[in-house]
Amino acid sequence: MPSRASARVTPPNPSTSEPTRIVFESLSRGDVLPVQPLTITADDVRAYLDATGEPAERWSDHVPPVMLSALMLATLLGQVVIPQGVMHTGQEHEARRPVRLGESLMVTVTVSSYSVRRGALMASFETEARAGDEVVAVSRASVLVPPPEGATDTSGGNAE
Amino acid sequence: MTAPTVEPVTRLIDQPRVDKYAVAARDPNPIHRETPEAYAGPFGRPVAHGMLVLALVSEAMTNAFGEAWERGGSLKVRWRQPALVPIEVTARATLRSESDGVATYDVICEDAAGEALLTGTASVQLA
Repeated sequence: MPSRASARVTPPNPSTSEPTRIVFESLSRGDVLPVQPLTITADDVRAYLDATGEPAERWSDHVPPVMLSALMLATLLGQVVIPQGVMHTGQEHEARRPVRLGESLMVTVTVSSYSVRRGALMASFETEARAGDEVVAVSRASVLVPPPEGATDTSGGNAE
Repeated sequence: MTAPTVEPVTRLIDQPRVDKYAVAARDPNPIHRETPEAYAGPFGRPVAHGMLVLALVSEAMTNAFGEAWERGGSLKVRWRQPALVPIEVTARATLRSESDGVATYDVICEDAAGEALLTGTASVQLA
């Protein structure tokens, strides 16, 4: 659950084991999503490199930095119901040190901004990967949810 | 170490590649795949993951810097237009500055017509 008490979650589905996920529109700046474990295996890296087309020889010991960034982002996708039509508009990534295959990481996602302008929802998420107490990478993703067709701006303000 | 030239990386991003990426990157958004949602979406057809396009920049930087890129590399980019598949993408990096042991490059991913898909900067601490 986010740190703010007001964030809503989707109701649990008793017919599946799917975890409860947070409603995107209920997020607010400053929310911190539950810390998630992340371990990237050699098989994971092989599948990723097969998809991207990058030669695999170089990555026998470590995780490609942008793969780490993508999987840090995936921890957000796994916890929040992303609205249809969302656009990934920007990305930042800072590598602090190489991440070894199989290394146990913990990923924390923080809502660093969240606003509504002319019906469009704009949000950014800062994601930090730690090995123990050490920060090994920081990513920031910016997204935009366009207003529904035919929607009119009623607030023009900021939803934070 | 002085800032090296970063050689461009060019790759065809087609639907099979996007489908494999969706699994590998754990991003199942239907807008990236052959789904009704993609054809009903704002682009009228599937669009490649932005992070798949960005991967070419990281590959180019890795080719130039090796482990220094993993140890202290950083990226800051914005996507300029969707990469509608299939598309041939080229990632380029041009040295902008080199000071205080940090090399900063302007980076771009462009399609075969030279239209920018992504622009931004990449920085690396020089050993």
